[in-house]
Amino acid sequence: MSGPLQNVVAWLDDRTGVRELLRQAMYERVPGGARWRYVWGSTLVVAFATQVLTGIFLWMAYSPSTQTAWESVYYIQHEMTGGWLLRGIHHFMAHAMVMLLGVHLLQVVIDGAYRAPRELNFVLGLVLMLIVLGLSLTGYLLPWDQKGYWATKVGTELASQTPLAGPALKSLAIGGTEYGHHTLTRFFALHAGVLPGLLVLVLVLHVALFRRHGLHPRDPDHAPDAMFWPDQLLKDSVASLAVLAVVLALAIYYGGAELAAPADAANSYAAARPETYFLFLFQFLKWFPGELEVWGAIVIPSLVLAVLFLVPWIGRSRGGHLCNVALLICLLGGVSLLTAQALNDDYLANWTERSDENAAAYDASAAFLAAKREAAHEAERVIELVQSPEKIPAAGALTLMHDDPLLQGPKLFAQHCAGCHNYLDRKHPDASANIVNAEPTAPNLFGVGSRQWLIGLLDPEQIDGPHYFGYHQSPFVGDGDYTDMVDFVQEALDEEMDADEEQQVRAAFKKIAAALSAEAQLPEQAEIDRRDQELIAAGRELMEGGLADVVANGMSCTDCHSFGEMQDIGSPVLDGYMSRQWMIDFVRNPADERFYGEMNDRMPAFAPHDDPRLNQLEEKSIGLVVDWLRGDWYRPDDASISD
Amino acid sequence: MADSSSPQNSGAGQPNGRRRFIAVVTTIVAGALAMLTPLAAGVATFLSPLFRKRESERVRIALLSQVPDDGRPRYFPVSVDRQDAWNRYPQQRVGAVYLIRPSGAAEPIALTAKCPHAGCFVGYKVGDDQFRCPCHTSEFNLDGSRVHGDAEVSPRDMDQLPVELREIEGADGESATEVWVEFIDFQTGHREKIRTA
Repeated sequence: MSGPLQNVVAWLDDRTGVRELLRQAMYERVPGGARWRYVWGSTLVVAFATQVLTGIFLWMAYSPSTQTAWESVYYIQHEMTGGWLLRGIHHFMAHAMVMLLGVHLLQVVIDGAYRAPRELNFVLGLVLMLIVLGLSLTGYLLPWDQKGYWATKVGTELASQTPLAGPALKSLAIGGTEYGHHTLTRFFALHAGVLPGLLVLVLVLHVALFRRHGLHPRDPDHAPDAMFWPDQLLKDSVASLAVLAVVLALAIYYGGAELAAPADAANSYAAARPETYFLFLFQFLKWFPGELEVWGAIVIPSLVLAVLFLVPWIGRSRGGHLCNVALLICLLGGVSLLTAQALNDDYLANWTERSDENAAAYDASAAFLAAKREAAHEAERVIELVQSPEKIPAAGALTLMHDDPLLQGPKLFAQHCAGCHNYLDRKHPDASANIVNAEPTAPNLFGVGSRQWLIGLLDPEQIDGPHYFGYHQSPFVGDGDYTDMVDFVQEALDEEMDADEEQQVRAAFKKIAAALSAEAQLPEQAEIDRRDQELIAAGRELMEGGLADVVANGMSCTDCHSFGEMQDIGSPVLDGYMSRQWMIDFVRNPADERFYGEMNDRMPAFAPHDDPRLNQLEEKSIGLVVDWLRGDWYRPDDASISD
Repeated sequence: MADSSSPQNSGAGQPNGRRRFIAVVTTIVAGALAMLTPLAAGVATFLSPLFRKRESERVRIALLSQVPDDGRPRYFPVSVDRQDAWNRYPQQRVGAVYLIRPSGAAEPIALTAKCPHAGCFVGYKVGDDQFRCPCHTSEFNLDGSRVHGDAEVSPRDMDQLPVELREIEGADGESATEVWVEFIDFQTGHREKIRTA
C-alpha cells in the first residue's frame, strides 16, 4: 500500500533533502524534558501566524483612503459574513501578543537565558518586541475612526518633538503637512508590508539562533531529556489553543473590535486614549510639566530601552543578573501602576462620590465618561445612517454625519440656542439628550410644535411657567408689554364657571392643540394626525371663531392671529405653525412681520439677509437645528419617515 | 574595458591580483547599482512630503456681532478649501478656534483649540471658567494663559492667532464686520511658538 507513497517521498527527498530538514526541525532535544514553562515563544509564533492569516483576509477587504478606510472596515464589521469575528480575532490577538511578549521577556530574564552565547538572540528578541509595538501603533489608525485618529494624532505630535529630526519624522510618517490619504497609505504599507516583513526576517534569525544554542534549560535534571516532537510541541499546541480560546472569548464577548465614528478633524474626541498597553506612556506624560515633556515622551523611554538592550552584558555577573531581574520587575510593576492610575483617573467617577477634595479629578473623569458615552452614541447613530437605504455616498460616511439632524442639531443648538433656550424633556429630566439651561430666558423647545407641547402652552397653569412664557424678564407675563396671550389663556377659565363649562374649555383647548399641531406636520405625529382628522377639523373651527362661544372672555385665536380663512389679522401667523419652513423663516428673522415683529425683544435674527455673508448662520445649519427640534431625522425602524 | 590580459586567464585557478580586484569592484558596483537605483527612486518619492510647505491661510471665522464683548469664549469651526493628495475639498473643517472679546474691546482674541502639549482638542463647556484639555489635564484661563503656570503640563499658553476685522457690504446695501483669523499651526511641546513647516 505504502509502496508508491514511499517512492514519492524518496524521490522528493532525493531532490530536496526534505527528510533531513524535517528531522532537524522536529527532533530538537529538550534537556530536562518537555515543560509548560517553555511554551511562551511558540505561542508568540502562533499568535503572529494568526495575525498574518487574519490580516491577509482583512487586507482583501480594506481600502486605505480617507473616504474609504472607515467605510471598508464598517463593511467588514457589519456586512461581511463573519467579518466581525475576523476583526475581533485580529484585534484581541494583538493585545494577547503584547501580553505574551511581556511574559516571554520576563521569563528569559528571570531564567538568565540571555547569557552567553545567547546575547544576540536577546537583542533580536527586543527588536521583535519593538516591531510588534510598531504594528500595534500603525494598526490602531487604519479603521480611521475617531478613537484611532485622535490617539494617533497625539502619537505623531509626540514623535515630532524628537530633537532635530522630529518635524521631518512627523511629516514623513503622515505623508504631508496634515492627516490625509497618504497618512493611511503609509501606515498601511508599514502595517501590512514593511513591519511584518521585517518581523519575519528577524524571527527567522531569532529561531535559527535559538536552535543553534539549544533550549536554555531551567533545570536539566528535572526529568529525562525529551524531544521537541512530539513532547514539547504537544504542550506548545495546547498552550496556543488556550491563547486562542481566550482571544475568541473576548472577540465574541465584545462582538469583535470596536469601531468608533468616522474620523473628523473638526469634531473633538475628548475620550481619545491609546491602546491599553500604551496607556502607561500616556499616563507617564502627565508627570512631565512644560518643556520636560520631551523627557517623558522620548528621552526616558529611549534610555530604558537602551538599558534593556544592555541586559545580557549587565547580567554577566551574579549581581548583574539580580539587577536585571529587579530592573524588569520594577519596569513591569511601574507599567502596571501607571496603567492602573490612568484607568483610575478616567473611570473614578464610576465608583466615587464627588467631594470638595476630589472635585477636579472627579470632573475630569466625568467629562471623559460623558465623552465616551457621546462617542458610543455617535458610533451607533452613524451605523444606523450607513445602513439606511441610501447607503454610504462616494464622499464617505462623514458627510452622512454632517448632514444628520440628530447628530448636528444638539451641537448647533448648544452653540447658538442654549444660551437662552432649554431643550429639556420634563418627563425624563435625566435623559442624556437634554440640553439644560438653568436660567432660561426663552421657552423650552423640547417637543416644540407637538400636541403635548401645545397642550402645555394652552394650559392656564403652565403658560406663564418657565417652560413657556414665564422665563426671566419675559415681556409676555406680569408687567411685560405684551401679556395678551397669557392673559387670554388664563382668563379663558372663569371662577364662576361650573365644572361642566370648565371641562368644555379644556376640551376646546385640546382640540386646538391638535389642530395647531397638525400645522407643524411633525413626522412623529403623522400617524395620529391622519387618524384624528375630525378632531383637527373641530379644532380649526374653534380657532377660526368657535372658541369665542366657549371661553369666558369671548375671543378666539383669529381675533389676534392670521389663520386659515382669516388672513391679515395679525401675527405670529398660525398657518403652518412650527412647520419646517415656518420655523426656518422664524429663525432667520423672528422680528419679521409674519412673526413677532416689534414684540421680539431678544432673539437674534440668524439669517435676515439675502447675502449669506452677512448672516450669522448658513441655511444648512438652520435647517439641521429645525429638523432636529421637529424630530425629523432618519429612523431605521420606520423607513417611511426618511422618504 | 581596456584589459590586455588574455581571456584564457579568466578560467585559471589563480587569477592575478589586478584581475581579482576589478572583478570584486565590478561585482559590488554592479550589484549595488542594480539594487540601489530602484531603492533611490522609492526613497525620493517617499521623501516628497519634506518638499511640501504648509501655507497658513487667512480664514473668515464669524461676524463680529456673533462675539459679544462679555469675555466668554465662543467656539467656531475653521473651514478652508483643502487639498489632500489627489482630492480637493471645498470648505473642509480643519480645526477650531475660540473667539473671546473682553468687555469693551473692539476686537476679539482668537485661540486655536489645539493644545500646545500634544495637540489634543482643548474643550470648553459653556459657563465654565476654564478651558480644559481632555488628554493630559492641562487647564487654561479664558485668556488662554495656563492656570498653573509653569507647573502646567502644557509648556506654553494656548496659541493666540492674529485677528483681522474686515468690513463688508452685501448686495442689499447692508454692511457687517467679519472676523478673520490667520490659521497658523504651531509645533507642540515647546515653550516658544514655532510654526510647523
